Amino acid sequence: MRRPDDTELFGMLGEYGIPLVPYEFARTRVEAVAAAKRVGYPCAMKISSKDIPHKTDAGGVVLGIASDGDAGKAFDSIMANARNFAKGASLDGVVVQKMPGKGIETIIGIKKDPQFGHVLMFGLGGIFVEVYKDIAFRVAPVSVREALDMVREIKGYRILAGLRRQVPYDIDAVVQVLMAASTLVEERGDIAEMDINPLIVHESGATAVDARALFE
Amino acid sequence: MAVVGASNNEKKWGYRLLRNIMDGGFRGGIYPVNPGEAHVQGLPGVPSVKELEGKVELAVIAVPSQHVLAVVDECGRSGVKGLVVVSAGFAETGGKGKELEQELVSLVRDYGMRMIGPNTLGIVNERASLNASIIGRLPRQGGISFITQSGTLGLALADWAIDMGLGLSKIISTGNKADTDDVDLLEYLDRDESTQVVVMYMEGVKRGRLLLESVKRIKKPIVAIKTGRSQQGARAVFSHTGSMAGSDEVFSAAFRQCGIIRVGTVECIFDAALALSTQPLPAGNSVAIISNGGGASIVATDECEKRGLVMAELSETTRDRIRQTIPAFASASNPVDTAGTSTVEVYRIVTEALLQDPGVDSIAALYVHTLLSDALEPAKALAELKSKYPKPIVACWMGGAGTEAGVELLKKSGVADYVTPERAIKALAALVMHREFKEKVKT
Repeated sequence: MRRPDDTELFGMLGEYGIPLVPYEFARTRVEAVAAAKRVGYPCAMKISSKDIPHKTDAGGVVLGIASDGDAGKAFDSIMANARNFAKGASLDGVVVQKMPGKGIETIIGIKKDPQFGHVLMFGLGGIFVEVYKDIAFRVAPVSVREALDMVREIKGYRILAGLRRQVPYDIDAVVQVLMAASTLVEERGDIAEMDINPLIVHESGATAVDARALFE
Repeated sequence: MAVVGASNNEKKWGYRLLRNIMDGGFRGGIYPVNPGEAHVQGLPGVPSVKELEGKVELAVIAVPSQHVLAVVDECGRSGVKGLVVVSAGFAETGGKGKELEQELVSLVRDYGMRMIGPNTLGIVNERASLNASIIGRLPRQGGISFITQSGTLGLALADWAIDMGLGLSKIISTGNKADTDDVDLLEYLDRDESTQVVVMYMEGVKRGRLLLESVKRIKKPIVAIKTGRSQQGARAVFSHTGSMAGSDEVFSAAFRQCGIIRVGTVECIFDAALALSTQPLPAGNSVAIISNGGGASIVATDECEKRGLVMAELSETTRDRIRQTIPAFASASNPVDTAGTSTVEVYRIVTEALLQDPGVDSIAALYVHTLLSDALEPAKALAELKSKYPKPIVACWMGGAGTEAGVELLKKSGVADYVTPERAIKALAALVMHREFKEKVKT
């Protein structure tokens, strides 16, 4: 089993048409500030290291960076925290991402099951997945109808459909990402596990903000 | 057929198997094979399968595991086509047993034979009057076939189904599934004319992906109970998906995708099978309930809601017809409550009105027994209507003692009767689910 680094992982997701929030990698403070400028403020900065899959736990995430000065400081603190958190970890630098637009957090997952092969998972993010386990599964590959069934099957569907809001979230965009994930596992038999988490679903469109994966 | 390891010793499998085969009335030749006995249970025995060259197609093998390969080799040379290997001591014991099973499978395949087992508790084929199993009796003839991975529990369930009066066609204890597995057996039962419904007791599958593809093409209803939680390794949780996608969740998803009706309890598998083998499929998920007591219909209504069934909205005509029949203080809307009346006339008129209502897809007819009523009367009404209308009817004649004649008539006339309203509604839900599978999943 191996963990791909962010460059490989984000590259692969992009290749299969999974919409990623605009991002750039940076190894040094100078690169980080320049990257922040290019993706535009407000932006987020996160540690990039395959030894640190849970970035927040390592103090490796700074959100809402608004200026060049903030960007430089964010780089310093992330690198220092990461060094403290995981001694000897190989640190690739940081990934600088544009802050995603407003939306609702969801998660799309992949797992290779020993009896049925690749399985797709869908659920709302945060406590919905961790505490309520309000999630749907299908064995891949899935049809568009099956992908839509997954979205409709969870209890939280009503939230996606616009509960207490005027406008529903973009369910077609979720289905498209599920279909992309389905194609991905058909071609990449070596994926053991993957979370696209969060996938922010907007009123129009969806953006993947982070992912982690385990390859065979 | 040959019974290898057939015995005169009542404590041995080889005794029980031969006894059951003989008692079942198998019409072909039965040859006990035992090197130590000239006669086994009155039948002339032979010392080895070699003596039976060209005479037998099927061999049931119940000898110690270390002798199985030699016996199978003789079977192959003597032209045997099918094997039922009851002997244990193979992959289920790990290590050496696993190797022995691999050798067994390659030997079986070299000769082009097919094998059930090893470690099976046998097979029953009602059509052939063949009871090559440890079940003490043959079931009544019927359209339900049963595949079980657990030997003892599975056969106890089969026994219970026989007690329930269910008609069974084939019973197969798969054992270790070394050669034939669920996929082979399902495809066989799909082609089998006497099988209408397949019931499965599963602990795991060997070829999950193939099962999924194969079952999508099978239009006969399959009802399964899947037990055994996932055995997640001690590996630290890496992803959310990794921690959530346990084998149980994956099975549920896979079953839904290929159209296997998954039930949660052992009683439910045969409840569903009874409905699926006796009732037509409903056109939709709307249910009408008739009951002589409010309590039973409330229980049934609650269960409908839990199972995603909806209470049918009755037409004005239907309600008028009902209103003219039942007491003024009774309820003419769905669920229909006859307020204690359970005469043939009331049950006939109300049930017929419900059956004729285009908004009603299926009927749950309930009857609560009292000392003042006759359980046979409402049963007569249903028996009369059952053959006239192509809508499913499930029933629940509650009360035990005193209801027997009514229950017997319901069974005879093809109404699926259950002990509790919940079980009746769950069975109805299985019918609805299968109809949806046929529409959405089956190719």
